[in-house]
Amino acid sequence: MSRIPVDPDAIRQLASILAETGLSEIEIADKDNRIRVARAPAPGIVHVPQAAAPAAPAMPGAAQDAGVPKGAVTSPMVGVAYLAPEPGAANYVAVGQAVAAGQTLLLIEAMKTFNQIKAPSAGTVTRILVASGSPVEYGEPLMVIEP
Amino acid sequence: MFHKILIANRGEIALRVQRACRDMGIRTVAVHSTADAEAMHVRLADESVCIGPPSAKESYLNIPSIISAATITGADAIHPGYGFLSENADFAEVVQAHGLTFIGPTAEHIRMMGDKITAKATMARLGVPLVPGSDGVVNDLAEARVVADRIGYPVLIKAAAGGGGRGMKAAANAEALEDAFRTARAEARAGFGNDAVYIEKYLDRPRHIELQVLADAHGNVVHLGERDCSLQRRHQKVLEEAGSPVLDARARDALGETVTSALARIGYRNAGTLEFLYQDGHFSFIEMNTRLQVEHPVTEMVCGIDLVREQIRIAAGQELGYRQSDIRFEGHAIECRINAENPDTFMPTPGRVSAFHAPGGPGVRVDSALYQGYVVPPYYDSLVAKLIVHARTRSAAIARLRRALDEFAVLGIDTTIPLHRRIVDDPDFQAGNYTIHWLERFVSAEPRR
Repeated sequence: MSRIPVDPDAIRQLASILAETGLSEIEIADKDNRIRVARAPAPGIVHVPQAAAPAAPAMPGAAQDAGVPKGAVTSPMVGVAYLAPEPGAANYVAVGQAVAAGQTLLLIEAMKTFNQIKAPSAGTVTRILVASGSPVEYGEPLMVIEP
Repeated sequence: MFHKILIANRGEIALRVQRACRDMGIRTVAVHSTADAEAMHVRLADESVCIGPPSAKESYLNIPSIISAATITGADAIHPGYGFLSENADFAEVVQAHGLTFIGPTAEHIRMMGDKITAKATMARLGVPLVPGSDGVVNDLAEARVVADRIGYPVLIKAAAGGGGRGMKAAANAEALEDAFRTARAEARAGFGNDAVYIEKYLDRPRHIELQVLADAHGNVVHLGERDCSLQRRHQKVLEEAGSPVLDARARDALGETVTSALARIGYRNAGTLEFLYQDGHFSFIEMNTRLQVEHPVTEMVCGIDLVREQIRIAAGQELGYRQSDIRFEGHAIECRINAENPDTFMPTPGRVSAFHAPGGPGVRVDSALYQGYVVPPYYDSLVAKLIVHARTRSAAIARLRRALDEFAVLGIDTTIPLHRRIVDDPDFQAGNYTIHWLERFVSAEPRR
């Protein structure tokens, strides 16, 4: 979505930490940039920041990305994603959790209203693709629910 | 000055705004539907946000989506382009309410000029010449007769909620009035949900001449001359010229003086265009567009002023920095609107552009978001390029236009380039001898091979 420089060394470092520790996702962020590395089925980059040079081939908008994971729940709106009902509370769902159809997965806040994003069908949350407090665009993959 | 501007539009105008921002060192956010993810301005913008699926209603007209996109990217101003939300007073208010600057006039003036009856009443009050007509809504046939007798036949009965040339019925004489009046009201009710109608004198061979204005927030108002936009098909402009082949400097100055003092009195701000019908040496105001227009480049070429840049400067609170006497009109400019349509049937032809070569050279400008490999989506209007030429005289501009059209290659889709090529060779066009009905007759005549 946002265009920021790609730091391959940082990404490689995170990927190897993933592999060593057996974690399924790591995210680092500072004022201007955020990198998240997640595993499933193989370690790789999800939600890649775009190259700054205008001459670089354009990354398609999230909804057109051929890499949108199967079973992904995509954002129906533009806003800020929150994984918990309020700050300090436990997240709605965790990776590995079974969810029922219609169960709230996360919130997206837009223009001061909070919208519940619900599971379209029953299944297991296998991936959480956004961090709490991060902006999301229309069509952006949020979570993967597999039957 | 703004740090970051969100461009709430698409296609060639979004690219135009992107370029102006980039020239000024202002960062840009391109909002786009899923269908426009590969658009050139999206690729060139600093940031992009997908705001919805292809349908305009769910994307480019989706106010919450656009405001959200501005909030999450930290934009401080929004440029609405033309069409879409550019003349939506509610949108202008919502933008301001969120602490962002709407790059355009105030919501109040957008609203004032959006209602055709209020606009005319305002202009009448300010001494701008109008098409003779009723004083507002005509409620019944008896009233219609009184008005028609006063202004003289033929008359045109128009829907107050209409626009863009829709919802109008002509009555040639007193006998035809009853039928025309009843039909106009029925059609207005069916087409716009509102049967309010007003009456104007019908002009049988007018030209469409419009005046570009710029006003800052400090009371300075200037006009940038006229554009002749008489060449229209189904009320859509096809080719525009700056200046009009039939106006001289004296007529332009007189009209300009009347208009700029009127707008100064209402405290108008930012860009705007007043549209007139011109017949027998008389101007008649028909409507005002409170936004940038598609054909703004011909004015830019003749005046040497970047209108989008001026819109941004004005919105940021800067003074114009020049007066009417500083404005110079040099040479003549012509713009061809090139659509992705069959040049004979006008069937839209979305699809993949397999080859693209734009003309160049002195006095040739192409405003287009097309590129080789781009897929023109089927969801939006068919304008894909504007070819603008400028030269010292009108005949030199026509010669340059002919050359540029011959050089312009767009393969993979149909375009209306061949239509423009035929217009340029027509003796009436070359003589500047045309009215708003001319192009319809031209296209329905046998196509010359």
